[in-house]
Amino acid sequence: MTVKRQYRLPSCTLTLEGLTASSSDLKSPLTVLMNAECHFPDADQPPLSGGREFLDSLITAVSRYGQQLLSGIARPPNRDDPGLVTLKADQGGGHHLTVRSTPLEGVVDPQAVPVVDIKLTTLQFHDLMEAIDQLLADSQTLPDLTSHLQSVPRQLVKSTIPMVQRATPAALGAATLAAAGLALFFVPVPEIKPPEVKPTVTRESSTAPPALPPDTPPQGDGTNSSPEDFSQSPAITDPNTLNLLQRNLTRTLQQGWPTDIKPSEDLSYRLVVSEDGDILAYKYENDIALGEVDRTPLPKLAFDPVGSLRSSQEPVAQFRATFSPDGEVVVKPWSAAEAATSSATPAPAELPEIANKIRGSDRIRQLNDGLYDRILSNLQPLSASEPLTYRVRLNQEGAIVAYAPVNAAAGLLAQETPLPQMVDNAASGADQLDFMVVFTPAGVLQVSPWDGWP
Amino acid sequence: MPVDSLTRSSPSPILAALPTPQISTPECPRRARIQIDLLLLATEALDLSSGETLLTLAHDLGLDSVVKGRVNLWLLRSTNPMRRYSQRRPMQLEEAKALVTLIGHQARRLTVLIRQLLMGYQQLTTQQLSPYHHLRLADYLSRFKSHFRARMNPRRAGVIVYDTDEKLDQLALELLGQLLLCSGVLGTQRLWVSLFDGEVQ
Repeated sequence: MTVKRQYRLPSCTLTLEGLTASSSDLKSPLTVLMNAECHFPDADQPPLSGGREFLDSLITAVSRYGQQLLSGIARPPNRDDPGLVTLKADQGGGHHLTVRSTPLEGVVDPQAVPVVDIKLTTLQFHDLMEAIDQLLADSQTLPDLTSHLQSVPRQLVKSTIPMVQRATPAALGAATLAAAGLALFFVPVPEIKPPEVKPTVTRESSTAPPALPPDTPPQGDGTNSSPEDFSQSPAITDPNTLNLLQRNLTRTLQQGWPTDIKPSEDLSYRLVVSEDGDILAYKYENDIALGEVDRTPLPKLAFDPVGSLRSSQEPVAQFRATFSPDGEVVVKPWSAAEAATSSATPAPAELPEIANKIRGSDRIRQLNDGLYDRILSNLQPLSASEPLTYRVRLNQEGAIVAYAPVNAAAGLLAQETPLPQMVDNAASGADQLDFMVVFTPAGVLQVSPWDGWP
Repeated sequence: MPVDSLTRSSPSPILAALPTPQISTPECPRRARIQIDLLLLATEALDLSSGETLLTLAHDLGLDSVVKGRVNLWLLRSTNPMRRYSQRRPMQLEEAKALVTLIGHQARRLTVLIRQLLMGYQQLTTQQLSPYHHLRLADYLSRFKSHFRARMNPRRAGVIVYDTDEKLDQLALELLGQLLLCSGVLGTQRLWVSLFDGEVQ
């Protein structure tokens, strides 16, 4: 049975003609569409009409365009099948509905197909959409038609930022890099000069092969420097610093010494340590210490200063480290007394009381001047950073019987002063007198009677 | 479509008509929050009692549990990043569904007025006259402008775009057309789906 369904809205009328599924049942839904007609009373255009293809295309186009009006995001058109109906926005806020007629048989060129173009107002479009919505919601007409509302997927949305704008930062970066590269191309490559090594004159150098060129680093048994290299370096005299260095050194050596290998007897080394605690040099003190040196942590811990640094006047402290058979490491300052004994010069720490003091101001003045002149004539530049004060004892003839350092620095640096060489072991005499000798860091020598001027 | 979970979590079957979109987060995208607030702003410009009507409508539709009152509604609308007192809180999809439903009902209630205004605007456009020649339309436009300027943060990039009267008028007319499209049988669904254009996977 042929039925007609009409969806009438103020400015759009949609009429469908078709066949019901069952001719006897009046409530049977319209299932086969024969003709669909869309008419806009306000527009002076003949009604649009077509079959199922036209209706499907109209529904799709209206749905998509309506969604585009709501969201402002257009779904890109399907290039393969543009559909019979298309909707586009007009410049003045209106809408363009274009309908291609169903291509006739034999016509190949789709451009040749006549196109109907209707300009719609927003109200007309809304009524068209509403008519379609009512049709979609109507279960009595074409129940197979349902709304397929879908959001536009992210992939289909064109970026709102144009390509040129997006590519600008990358292009700018690449151009900057190229420009920088070009500019740096003309900058000459800096030449690298190897640091010049000054040949160091050491006491042992006489035994070393003299053919070594100055640039060749001296080859040794694990360390490149010996404590004698630092004989010209100023000594650290501050007791606190020395204590700290001693403690640190003991800990470092104890930690680095694998105690599972015990030496058969004490290994004794003389160490030169910088102010930072670096072991600058070491030397064996007994023969077994030489043989067992590779078992001690010393070769690993020894800091090998580069040649230019070695000659620098870095303050150093000297220690004696003893690795005992029971796994103990004992570090003691390399005392002035030991230094004195090592150079076989007796340096009495305390001078006995003088039995008979020299009297007579003229004689005292003469002795004073004579001592001053003799010390000055033998004086070498000292590395001390504080005044070195000594008590020097002279006999009647003016020979030095003995001397004693008064302050700690004086004890450590006694070897640098001419006093040890000037001690006359044979000198004696009943009448003696003490003088105070001070070497100031500025290089000034001061000599005065210990008990003051008469 | 996860229909099961939707019906279970929906406080009202009316929200079940709106499908949950396939987006990565359970929160409303930025553009959707702006659009919802602007459409509500347009209904307020059309009808001064719109705020009250919205609450009554929410009560009638059984959406009280989502839109819990005046303050809650204000908080929801303040998720619009263009607002002066924009809230950092997210807008849940459920809350967005409720607001979209309310917008659909409001638009349907105001259909006659919206049609009148659009009709008047079209007539004035064909005569090349300014929309201010239509008394009711001029009313709507000036009210929308004052609402917009009072509530939106003028330093926001999204608001700076509408710095002139003409641009705001254009926005108001655009929203009027969108409200009309929301008023139909499937208007609410169409609006809901359009909110996630360019967001779904």
